[in-house]
Amino acid sequence: MHRRVVGAVAGLAGTMFLAGCATNAPQDTFQPKGPNAKIIDDLQKPVFAVAGIIGVFVTVVVIIAVFKFRDKGQPIPHQSHGNPALEITLTIIPALILTVVGVFTFRTVFDLAKTSDTEMIINVTGQQWWWEYDYPVQNEYGITQPIITSGQLVIPAGTKVLLRQTSRDVIHSYWIPALNGKRDAVPGRVHLNRIEADKPGIYAGQCTEFCGLSHANMRMEAVALSKADFAKWVANQLKPYTSPAENTLAKEGETVFMNQCVRCHQVNGMKRADGTPVIAAPDENMVSGAAPNLSHLMSRNTFAGATFDLLNKSCREDVWGAESESFGAKYLGGVSEDCLNQSDLRGWLRNAPAMKPMYANPALLTSSGGKYRGMPNLGLTESDIEKLVAYLLTLK
Amino acid sequence: MAIIERSITSTEVFSVATPSTSLGALKRPVASTGWKSWLFTVDHKKLGIMYSAAALFFFIVGGLEAVLIRLQLAAPNGKILNADLYNQMFTMHATTMVFLFVMPMAAGLANYFIPLQIGARDVAFPRINAFSFWAFLFGGIFLNLAWFLGGAADGGWFMYAPNSGPVFSPSHGIDFWALGLQITGIASLAGAVNLITTVLNMRAPGMKLMRMPIFTWMQLVVQFLLLFAVPVITVALFLLSFQRNFGATFFDVSAGADPLLWQHLFWIFGHPEVYILILPSFGVISEVLPVFSRKPLFGYPFVVFSGAAIGFVGWGVWAHHMFASGLGPVSVAVFSVSTMAIAVPTGVKIVNWTMTLWGGKLEFTVAMKFAVGLIVLFTIGGLSGVTHSVAPSDTQQTDTYYIVAHFHYVLFGGAVFGLFSGFYYWWPKVFGKLLNEKLGTWNFWMMVIGMNMTFGPMHILGLQGQPRRMYQWTEARAGEGMFNFGFWNMFASIGSLVLTIGVLLFLINIVITARNGKVAPLDPWDARSLEWMTSNPPKEHNFDSIPTISHLDEFFHRKYEEDANGQMVKVKTAEQVMKELEDNADAHIHMPSPSYWPIFLASGLPVIAFGMIYSIPIAIFGGVIVLFGCYGWSIEPSTAPDDDFDPPATTKDVVHVG
Amino acid sequence: MFSTGSKYFFGISFLGAVSFAIYMFLIAESAIGATALLGLVAATALLTALVISTRDGSKDEDGVAASAAAPTASILPLIGAIGATLLLVGTITSPVVTLFGIVALLAALVEWAVLSWSERASSDVAFNASLRKRLLNPIEFPVIAAVGLGVIIFSFAQITLAVDKSVGAIAFIVLGSLVLAAGVLFSVRPSLKRGLVTGICVFGAVGIVAAGIAGAGVGLREDLVHAKEEGHYMHQECGAEKSKYFDKLPLEGVSATSSVDTHIDLIDGKLVASVQGIAGNQATITIPRANPTNIVFRNKTDGEYRLVASLGSKMVTADVKEDVVQCTQLIPQGSEQMLTLNIPKPAVTGKPFTLTVPGLAGQSIEVIVP
Repeated sequence: MHRRVVGAVAGLAGTMFLAGCATNAPQDTFQPKGPNAKIIDDLQKPVFAVAGIIGVFVTVVVIIAVFKFRDKGQPIPHQSHGNPALEITLTIIPALILTVVGVFTFRTVFDLAKTSDTEMIINVTGQQWWWEYDYPVQNEYGITQPIITSGQLVIPAGTKVLLRQTSRDVIHSYWIPALNGKRDAVPGRVHLNRIEADKPGIYAGQCTEFCGLSHANMRMEAVALSKADFAKWVANQLKPYTSPAENTLAKEGETVFMNQCVRCHQVNGMKRADGTPVIAAPDENMVSGAAPNLSHLMSRNTFAGATFDLLNKSCREDVWGAESESFGAKYLGGVSEDCLNQSDLRGWLRNAPAMKPMYANPALLTSSGGKYRGMPNLGLTESDIEKLVAYLLTLK
Repeated sequence: MAIIERSITSTEVFSVATPSTSLGALKRPVASTGWKSWLFTVDHKKLGIMYSAAALFFFIVGGLEAVLIRLQLAAPNGKILNADLYNQMFTMHATTMVFLFVMPMAAGLANYFIPLQIGARDVAFPRINAFSFWAFLFGGIFLNLAWFLGGAADGGWFMYAPNSGPVFSPSHGIDFWALGLQITGIASLAGAVNLITTVLNMRAPGMKLMRMPIFTWMQLVVQFLLLFAVPVITVALFLLSFQRNFGATFFDVSAGADPLLWQHLFWIFGHPEVYILILPSFGVISEVLPVFSRKPLFGYPFVVFSGAAIGFVGWGVWAHHMFASGLGPVSVAVFSVSTMAIAVPTGVKIVNWTMTLWGGKLEFTVAMKFAVGLIVLFTIGGLSGVTHSVAPSDTQQTDTYYIVAHFHYVLFGGAVFGLFSGFYYWWPKVFGKLLNEKLGTWNFWMMVIGMNMTFGPMHILGLQGQPRRMYQWTEARAGEGMFNFGFWNMFASIGSLVLTIGVLLFLINIVITARNGKVAPLDPWDARSLEWMTSNPPKEHNFDSIPTISHLDEFFHRKYEEDANGQMVKVKTAEQVMKELEDNADAHIHMPSPSYWPIFLASGLPVIAFGMIYSIPIAIFGGVIVLFGCYGWSIEPSTAPDDDFDPPATTKDVVHVG
Repeated sequence: MFSTGSKYFFGISFLGAVSFAIYMFLIAESAIGATALLGLVAATALLTALVISTRDGSKDEDGVAASAAAPTASILPLIGAIGATLLLVGTITSPVVTLFGIVALLAALVEWAVLSWSERASSDVAFNASLRKRLLNPIEFPVIAAVGLGVIIFSFAQITLAVDKSVGAIAFIVLGSLVLAAGVLFSVRPSLKRGLVTGICVFGAVGIVAAGIAGAGVGLREDLVHAKEEGHYMHQECGAEKSKYFDKLPLEGVSATSSVDTHIDLIDGKLVASVQGIAGNQATITIPRANPTNIVFRNKTDGEYRLVASLGSKMVTADVKEDVVQCTQLIPQGSEQMLTLNIPKPAVTGKPFTLTVPGLAGQSIEVIVP
């Protein structure tokens, strides 16, 4: 009876285990899509295999012992106190296995820490609860002025990118499993993290160091484009700002934006009526001192810490599910009015904290000097929201 | 203050002003029954029972917190707990389970059984023992008061800075957490000093260290670990409390601090802490397996030395919790290798336990089932730990559910199963009744199935990229097909309910046994070690006469001898061995008397903590209680004066027990 | 030990204390009620102590004679008297003196009460002494040690704060050597007469305390007073020459490497930036806005230089604009110092943020804040 139960359990467990690997999880740690992740994968697969074998071996030995030596009325067994030779052998064998694993581990750690072959630098700054990226001037990629974006890290495929990571408030961690292991972003420190994707595509990630209320809602994607597509993307990001045409809904939206949103959000190149450049002041309103820069917002397809999609369902499937060859063109298409996820964007503008918890108790904002953590509920009217959406759609 | 105004031992005849009254305002408590006998006891056995009862209560609290977490995560975008409450829930679940369940439960078993196993009548410092218990209880209650006073701590049990600072966590929850843990830390430290002194100084004659029962050995290593680890967390918690309450800038980046300081301090404590959690359970099953295999522990010296080795090497691996924190390749590589090194002594134990089973005569009582379960489940957990030790691999695994799976296998499948094995094994000695074996078998299987259902899928979830410490998971990251996040999360949540039923069966078993359980014989398991050479339950003074030890497994060797063919035959029953002790009973046995100072002093600690959070005068008042308690305690003799007894005792009485 | 009478008075003083606490909690303001209750508590506490120590004044029971030995010499009356006097003197001079008086008086009263109580506990003088020691040593030793150490340390501090820096150093060395000499003397000559040892110790203690009081009377020396008033050490003075106060602060050497975003090196008069993660020397550095970023200035040139960060200007009031400038101290060759920049806004076009070295023309690194 025991045997059948054990057999059934083992069979079920085995099926489950194998079946468990049968999904296409975007953050699967066993599906490397870049050389760094591949180096890790090449090390971890054998280690898992060895661990699995040892686990099965020990379980089997114990089960055998349980059955073979159960009380069948035999006399009191020989009172063996031990067998030093056996002990030492069974100590040395695992020690040897671990030594081999240790040597490979040692080499891999230093391999992954190499930065001398870096081809591109991007600065990554984490804050509650979104990621900011700024690209310092690098003329070889056409980046003649610094570019700031957030949420989606756009990189050229097949290029060794080095992220210089830090944080503006608490500790966060940058993790795109398909491309590399995670690295913490610690305030006051700069940590280096290599990212490289083999092929164009979109690679999902999440913040993986507990950072407060909306840690669950702090996501990002790495978007790899072919070198040509990346050059197009850079050129688009460097396009100067164009104000919407007079007497359109979008123009009214720009006015609403300048009254409400520029307290925190910067749109590069925006000018007031008298010609003075608009400089946002999140340092006065936010605990972390920054809010996402919304220049060319519609060239990315997620928002609010990559928690919500700018694309509606069908357009999203189209872009995210595209093959490597066609992905670049689809991504560069950005978000058009037909593809805009109206409900999520409007919901956000209507009441951001209701969609993403950002402070537990508004009364406790005094501990941060009245500064906000995340976007507050601005109490916008529906017509304001209508105008803003029209305006944001012009930020291509 | 119970000094009497005449010296008991002085033989000089001199006249005294007021002969019979004591200095104290209150009579020293001397009752041996009733609620006062529990409140003021210094008897290690009563304290052990109270420790275990309190720990069991907190196990249920922590378990409810876990079930709520699993209910929230069963489906995507769960609505059972909002983000704030969820963060409090997982913080308190971990804190409760680690500090208020496993540690005190192990302390309870240690308190009850170490003196019995080494042939002593009590621990070295009985009043400090009582103080440790009350301090733990008050600290645990204080910690949980936060639920009702503005929200519990919500920064995770690891409480990383700067998130734990006043700007990012403005409610008082973390203050309650930090100060509550300070109080329980004091309890653990005092207990460690106490038990180390007991084990090193109070063993029965002939009990050399290498003849000591293995449970006591493992507990000795644990006490040394506590002795050095608790001061580190104490310092870290002081730095945190001062930052939160008095404006210090230890972890404030704008003042030039490095947040990684907290991580180092916490994990230098945190890693030895996990060995503190597991070694007592290792000790328990190292007792249980030989008894139910009818042969001695295989390689006793190896098990002892590997335990000590784990204790030592455990100090050199802390940064494996920080592989992704930006330490730099040299540190990461070194700690990776040292973490692999510590797998070796642990593996030695697995070998020894398996070889104890091998060639034995295995009787599968419930205690034995839990012990064998531990071997398998802990091995699984330990192997997933070895996969973490590979640092590059760990950068993919850390902060995902794969880690959650690992530590729940080693903590639940390891520490908790060991403790349950101890319950079923020692219940007859402590309470005189046997726990129901049939119900116990159901308890065991439900817990095994429930545990594997809950934590097995977490390996898969973690490796598929579900991070931990998130109040909800999203379908955008959940993958396609039938076996995606949704399936495994639901599976795990159902498993947690099965696990709950398993634990419930244990509680039912306790109630049923208390009502009409089978009365246990003196030696129901034909056991091997000294704690079984006592009555059921042991008398207050434990042993009528202290036995002289000539073997490891002394009790077994008094019952069995080798005959001409090298076969072990029973020459005496347990009752006969006991009679030998009773016939040689000591004439005068002096036991320490109960005292109200330990609970009085312990009660001052939460008052100080409360005052530090809300108002300094209250803290000063608490400080006065503590100082006054120290003063009164220091002038109280260890035994009550004869007149405090009713009827008054005389010095010629044989047994001055309280 | 608690005679009937003492229980009565203890009860009143306890109730009085509780009432006082409740009173203060509910009616925080009024002084009269508080004074009355506090007076009640003090009076009944005193009576409790008196009654305990005299055992209700009752005749010895059982015809047992208490110790008939004559009381020995005692310093307690003197201390009590001093305490009472200081208490009164303090009301016309300074509350601190009153506090000292209260402390001395209380100490004397407690000691006296316990002493007289213990002298009547039995007819055995040795037993009585040990009983007194048992009760009071746990309080005496810690308190005397703490207070004594505190007084000596406080006196030392007052002396060194009052006199010139160099004089203070000499005084410290001299006093320290005297203490060491006395200690050596006592340990080398254990047979030294008790009176002599006591005399030396008392003389030394009184001397230090008296000097401390004198120092406290004189007050802080000139330059410390100035520094406190004018906040000299709070400002950064960023010129090319050595500043009067800022450059006299201790140099804070830096050994952390992973906290550092960029190293700015002054190599043979040329300013270069080496940014963590980017190979080669840079002429510009890019740092995120509103984020404290650490840069380390390393001087590898002969001579003392400082690094100055010019970070635009800000409006102090409606019309007044002030330049935002941060700098390190002047550091010698081979030394390094950290500068933490926290730049709230990007630069206005045409006026970039720069890092320069005053005294070296043409050396500048641009700080780009996107």
